[in-house]
Amino acid sequence: MNMNLLFVALIPLMGAALTAWVSRFGRMGSAWTAGGVTLLALLCLLPSAAAPFDGEVIVQRWPWIPGAGLDLAFRLDGLGLLFALMILGIGLLVILYARYYLSEHDCMGRFYAYLLLFMGSMLGIVLAENLILLLIFWEMTSLSSFLLISYWRGREDARTGARMALTVTGLGGLAMLGGFLLLGEIAGSYDLSVILTMGDVIRAHPLYTPMLVLILLGAFTKSAQFPFHFWLPHAMAAPTPVSAYLHSATLVKAGVFLLARLFPVLSGTPEWSWLVGGAGLTTLLIGAWFALFKHDLKGLLAYSTISHLGLITLLFGIGTPLAAVAGVFHIINHATFKASLFMAAGIIDHECGTRDMRRVNGLWRFMPYTGTLAMVAAASMAGVPLFNGFLSKEMFFAETATFFEEHAWGWLLALAVVIAGMLAVAYSLRFIHDVFFNGEPVDLPRTPHEPPFWMKAPVAVLVAICLLVGTLPAYTVAPLLQAASAGVLQAPLPGYDLAIWHGLGLPVLMSILALTGGLLIYAARRPLFALAARLEGRLDARAIYDWALGRTLDFAGAVTRRLDTGSLQRMLLFFMLSALTLGAIGFIGGGSSLTGPRVLLPVDGVSILIALVLVAVAIGTLILHRQRLTALIVMGALGLLIALIFVKFSAPDLALTQLTVEVVTIVLLLLALYFLPQQSPAESSRARRIRDLGVATLAGGGTAALTWAILSRPFDSISGYFLANSVPGGGGANVVNVILVDFRGFDTLGEITVLALAGLGIYAMLRELRLPGPTHDDAGRPWNWDAHPTIMAALARLLLPLALLVSVFIFLRGHNLPGGGFIAGLVTAVALIMQYLTNGVEWTHRRLSHDLHPLIGWGLLIGTLTGLASLIFGYPFLTSTFTHVHWPVVGEFELASAIAFDLGVYLVVVGATLLILVHLGLMHGASHPKQGIQQESR
Amino acid sequence: MPFDAANLVPILPEIAILITASVVLIVDLYLKDQDKGLNHSLSLIGLVIAIALTGAVGGGERQIFFDGNLVRDGISDLLKGAILVVSILAFIYARPWLKDRGMLVGEFYVLGLFAVLGMLVMVSANSFLTLYLGLELQALSLYALVAFDRDSKKGAEAAMKYFVLGALGSGLLLYGISMIYGATGSIELGPVAQAVAAQGIANKVLVFGIVFLVIGIGFKFGAVPFHMWVPDIYEGAPTPAVLFLGSAPKIAAFALAIRMLVEGLPSLHADWQGMLIILAVLSMGLGNLVAIAQTNIKRMLAYSAIGHAGFIFLGLLAGSQQGYAAAMFYAIVYAVMSAGAFGILLILSRKGFDAENLEDLKGLNDRDSWYAAMMTLVMFSMAGVPPTVGFMAKLLVLESVVRIDLVWLALVAVAFSIIGAFYYLRVIKFIYFDRPAPDAPILVTSGGVRIAMTANGLALLALGLFPAALLSLCQAAFAVQ
Repeated sequence: MNMNLLFVALIPLMGAALTAWVSRFGRMGSAWTAGGVTLLALLCLLPSAAAPFDGEVIVQRWPWIPGAGLDLAFRLDGLGLLFALMILGIGLLVILYARYYLSEHDCMGRFYAYLLLFMGSMLGIVLAENLILLLIFWEMTSLSSFLLISYWRGREDARTGARMALTVTGLGGLAMLGGFLLLGEIAGSYDLSVILTMGDVIRAHPLYTPMLVLILLGAFTKSAQFPFHFWLPHAMAAPTPVSAYLHSATLVKAGVFLLARLFPVLSGTPEWSWLVGGAGLTTLLIGAWFALFKHDLKGLLAYSTISHLGLITLLFGIGTPLAAVAGVFHIINHATFKASLFMAAGIIDHECGTRDMRRVNGLWRFMPYTGTLAMVAAASMAGVPLFNGFLSKEMFFAETATFFEEHAWGWLLALAVVIAGMLAVAYSLRFIHDVFFNGEPVDLPRTPHEPPFWMKAPVAVLVAICLLVGTLPAYTVAPLLQAASAGVLQAPLPGYDLAIWHGLGLPVLMSILALTGGLLIYAARRPLFALAARLEGRLDARAIYDWALGRTLDFAGAVTRRLDTGSLQRMLLFFMLSALTLGAIGFIGGGSSLTGPRVLLPVDGVSILIALVLVAVAIGTLILHRQRLTALIVMGALGLLIALIFVKFSAPDLALTQLTVEVVTIVLLLLALYFLPQQSPAESSRARRIRDLGVATLAGGGTAALTWAILSRPFDSISGYFLANSVPGGGGANVVNVILVDFRGFDTLGEITVLALAGLGIYAMLRELRLPGPTHDDAGRPWNWDAHPTIMAALARLLLPLALLVSVFIFLRGHNLPGGGFIAGLVTAVALIMQYLTNGVEWTHRRLSHDLHPLIGWGLLIGTLTGLASLIFGYPFLTSTFTHVHWPVVGEFELASAIAFDLGVYLVVVGATLLILVHLGLMHGASHPKQGIQQESR
Repeated sequence: MPFDAANLVPILPEIAILITASVVLIVDLYLKDQDKGLNHSLSLIGLVIAIALTGAVGGGERQIFFDGNLVRDGISDLLKGAILVVSILAFIYARPWLKDRGMLVGEFYVLGLFAVLGMLVMVSANSFLTLYLGLELQALSLYALVAFDRDSKKGAEAAMKYFVLGALGSGLLLYGISMIYGATGSIELGPVAQAVAAQGIANKVLVFGIVFLVIGIGFKFGAVPFHMWVPDIYEGAPTPAVLFLGSAPKIAAFALAIRMLVEGLPSLHADWQGMLIILAVLSMGLGNLVAIAQTNIKRMLAYSAIGHAGFIFLGLLAGSQQGYAAAMFYAIVYAVMSAGAFGILLILSRKGFDAENLEDLKGLNDRDSWYAAMMTLVMFSMAGVPPTVGFMAKLLVLESVVRIDLVWLALVAVAFSIIGAFYYLRVIKFIYFDRPAPDAPILVTSGGVRIAMTANGLALLALGLFPAALLSLCQAAFAVQ
């Protein structure tokens, strides 16, 4: 299979790396390599070069991302061939030119590497068959041109220019991505071969207009069309060979290439005419106007480039086949004369050390040879007969003349282009007259002289082409033009004539008008310069760019300030509100009712009473929340009420657990209260509290509604299984306990392990920690004049055996009746904590070992061993068994292996709870002042 | 009930990470201060072994094990591999930073490894419960990592915020799961999907369930309006923690979304699609817009992460296999890009100095042109400029949206990515066009860091040029179902 097209694009890209590497071995090596690489790419192109002339289109493809339906597909038709030849041919000349242009301290390798990178990307654009591939190369040209423009990194203007070029063209490329996606969606394929045949479908599609706008955004930014033209003059900070390359045949032509490429698909609608024609005409005029008044040689050329690009765009915008042919022709001509002019400007800059036309004068004496070349090229730019620029300009005038005849307001267009033509003549004249004549040079940094031969040679080649095409069009450019036009139109070519003389008619009249008008304008340039100086900066689209950038930044800053305050409360508020909004959308959206089909149970008085008290107490907690101690006690009441609810719903086990856990929690919180002031300060304003109240009510209401929705729906609970299997499978009537020690024994083992670890972790953290707190008030009175009231202490001591007895009772009955190791453990822990609270730490520690670690350790060990025991008997881990024994006093008693496991749970719960609470208490000296004093004295 | 040891084979990667974490935990106790580097080596060895095991047990038919709680399929194989690779990068980048600050301790590695374990569990989850377990394991480790620099007030504040909001986010997710369970009677993805398909959206409880799941997923991705934590945590947390938090967890979050929404609730696609569209548009808009105004690069990257989350949602909401594959591609690529960006920040930091502001990147090219080039690749990739892989990722998700006729959404996405490109280009400007600060020393980095960063940066380019391999893996992951 032929794959030369792939290599045409790949060779320069790979050659870039080679060139950079070669530059290690000497400056000239990279220039030679770059030239060689370009020649190689040209050679690669040649085998296919004949086909487009016969009207064939070569498409070559290799699978690339089959998953996304993307191929590395390349296409060569006349248009592609024309551009590829220009890119490679002018590229070769630029490489030769740059070898002499760059000075000793410019890094050659880097320059040529960038240049080849750019060349490869550009070739990719013109040869791509696939739109996505085209886009990739498109963005790569933006990147590589960025590198080229910023080649002289040290210079501020180079950096700004490069950034601006990248920003504008890169962003345009992204817009184009959107357009291509739409185009691909409309056409059902990204392949140009498919798309180009579907013009009617595409133009009729409702997405046509947005797609067109997006694609044009890409094309216009690249081709520096109004209002995106401002980046191009700033890109002039690049080395001149770069400008000669980028702004004649390549980068900026990519935009018009795209217009030409998609011409058969997109053109022919009013949107196309207005957008493309309007932008082209505006650009044509604005560019020509500014070009005249630039004192910088390259600035003049930059604006003239903008103007000529506008001309080409306008031609495509007119939309007739003949106009398109004229557009293609002007692309060729502009590339040749503009490249040579840039090179000439580079020579002048190189030899004089400046490009300011107010200083560079009268160079004819110093460099007549260069002067001649420049004059020919400038004449071509002005559209003087016998040079190639004249031919395409004539065709352009002819098209506008036809337009004039066919449209009522067409004369406006004709008038505008004649004015643009005059300006073009004037600025071309200025280029020649100011630089080569017009008195003596003013204070030049260097004495000018002719450049080396090989620096002029590329200019001479291009100028020769200008002349040859201008005089003998039929023998030189005609076949290529025909092939390229066929590539653009994808349809039979209209009849056109490349003769120099078409007979007297409107176009010739317009040419004469332009030439004489241009002379007059140039003669009267002084007052115009003054006018331009006054208008300076008014018509600058860069200001709009800067303004838009500034506004976006301001807006972003404002959004940041409003939303991004870093306040956690605000974050939570936004979070809750967003959740509520989404919830509300779901609530309104679904359509189904909130209440489910389940038959509701009758409401009884007790439940209502409990619920009401619960609500009242909850509100009370809220109101009292700043009185910390009171709030805590009220919260305890809340816990008790919940225990009551559990009782009401026949869950005594849960109620017992809740009760004991509540006590332990309150003790824990009380210990923490030592370190806090009695009252919390009011931190938020009333308005804010009301707002929070609203949010909380909404969130609470939402949760309630959801609970309602779930409870009113039928639901298969898993409890049935446990109820049925509790006695036969686990040997216990207390389902909760059986679940804990049997069905979910593994979970429980994990839980007590976590509890043990948490206890140890807290112990490790608090062991060495002593937080001093005030034990006396301001007047020196102790907070608590009687830390351990005697009656209380005595009562608590009395209670201890009772409590322990209860816990043993609860533990033993646990398997069948409410109770179990967990509750028993908590009861024991609470009983012991009570001793600490009422009798003090020292008293308790004298009577009770304060080393709780063995307790926890034994608990875990027992739990694990019970589990392992079942493995010995060949059952899975933690399988339980049970048997009945007859105890003398108690009577029939069921002994399950699970009870051993429960003992483990019991021990861990006691150990961990005590460990945590005791050490939290020990942290502060208030309850055991003596220890506290010892600490302080230490 | 009998347990089959064959269940353990598919989770060998997870087991390897668990063992590594435990080994580091114990070995660290006996290491002298100057030998703490061993933790690093052990962690890397563990991760490499896990990658090897992922490859060894991966591939082939979808397997469901542990009573339907875990699954091993194309998705899990690929995502596990990606998470492990990105984690290796993160550990390598973090080491010099930790060493300079005397924080090269076992805890960092243990927490990091547990976070990785959590992510792997999420990826392998086949039930809501397992998903949540993995999520919490990951989140708890990350909370602690954020507070890892105990003396840093900013770090503590960030950790506090992360924890409070994270708890809220997880809570809402759990709430959603409970409602799904209430409506379907199951927490396994397959049965849930069947039950939901049978009853449709007629069940209000289900609707709320989805809402809360989407909120939870949005939170984990950092999607607007549940993004509030992202900028503050990125800014406040020590950079290595952000590196961990901002890279691989995005992949895990993707897994969360895929498992919950796509596998658990496929028949309600129309419902969660609407919500994801809202989140996507808001995220892309706010993320890209606000990122412009940031001067702190960590904050900028935070907003960029928010914007990228919006793009990942584009693929998810498409509801097509192509869209899921695109989103997966995007998530993996984003994790790699993010690791590279924060890696560069770590490279730029030195003892007593943390690179946090855009200004700190000034003149990177003069200080080390190779790292400058790598950061440039990362930034271009984030901006979605070809030929880097970021472009491919954007292209794929955009295409998936266009294919379901949500053209306007694609256009919005393009518009915001244009805005977004600005701030990435600004970073490049700082790197290449500005002079380094006078006191900026030459960058000294270890060979390992240089190799890792080179691989990281060049991968973005290579994947951009040859995306077929990764993309076909992504597509294969969704094709087999």
